Amino acid sequence: MNFKEFQNQSRLYVIGALEAEELEEFEKARKKFGQKAEDYIGECYGLHEAFALSLRPAKSSAAIKDRLMSMVRARKEP
Amino acid sequence: MRQSKLISSPRRKPSGAGKARKRVRVTKTGARQFSVTPQLEPGAPSDLELMKAIQSENPEALAQLYDRYNGILKALILRVIHNEAEADDLLQEIFMEIWNQAKNFSSQKGKPLGWMVTLARRRAIDGLRKKQAYARAEERLQNETEQQPDAWVHNSTEEEIVLSDTRSLIRNVISGLPPAQQQAIDLAFFRGMSQREIAAKTNTPLGTVKTRLELGLKKIYDGLKELRGEL
Repeated sequence: MNFKEFQNQSRLYVIGALEAEELEEFEKARKKFGQKAEDYIGECYGLHEAFALSLRPAKSSAAIKDRLMSMVRARKEP
Repeated sequence: MRQSKLISSPRRKPSGAGKARKRVRVTKTGARQFSVTPQLEPGAPSDLELMKAIQSENPEALAQLYDRYNGILKALILRVIHNEAEADDLLQEIFMEIWNQAKNFSSQKGKPLGWMVTLARRRAIDGLRKKQAYARAEERLQNETEQQPDAWVHNSTEEEIVLSDTRSLIRNVISGLPPAQQQAIDLAFFRGMSQREIAAKTNTPLGTVKTRLELGLKKIYDGLKELRGEL
């Protein structure tokens, strides 16, 4: 796998779309390309943010936040 | 840690549904990570500052992160599981997990929003798979697909015209893709489907699905990079 192919696979990898046999090859190439590969994969995770930000924000009930904060504060107490 | 700043950040607007009028900022960090993030108001703590405060067990920082991103994360969860009550429960669980797992977050590996979105997506897809409701969601998806083949493109209502800048720009990139590519990416990202599952669901050869995903993702990736260059 050359680096261009690795870049293609990386974009599939970050959204979990690689098939098992492709994943094996991908991991081999990832090792081969080292830090350059890790940097590129990190860059591809920007796609996650983009997909999430493409959605219209949904409203959630205020009770959710109240419950969450109660749980967090209760857990924090000794 | 400037906790007082985090606690008394009066200029930060809550980002509830429809309220956020954020400007887009597309950045490239030193670690070569490019990212499209909502721009914060002057004086507001950054996401990274909030994450660091959460790592120091400051509940107020979690409250601020919740205000900032609950709408986006809930939209993501809803897109996967299509059930309002379950989405609310999952949203609460995810923010609890953010609190519990904050120590595992490393800014070396990415940005807080990316980390949260990855976590939320994984939890939502896990939830979808575990539940018996999977079949029902499939049926709903089928109906939606029939009614609206391009899941990312919505009718142009007045509300849509007043899209936040961030969404508008990203949607422009996504909506520039052919519908088949959008559908393949939608099924992979929001449904967690493998290429084989997409091929079976859409009655399309596996090689075609792979090509659609590769081309579509490359165009989105390149489009986001272009956005970064323009802004």
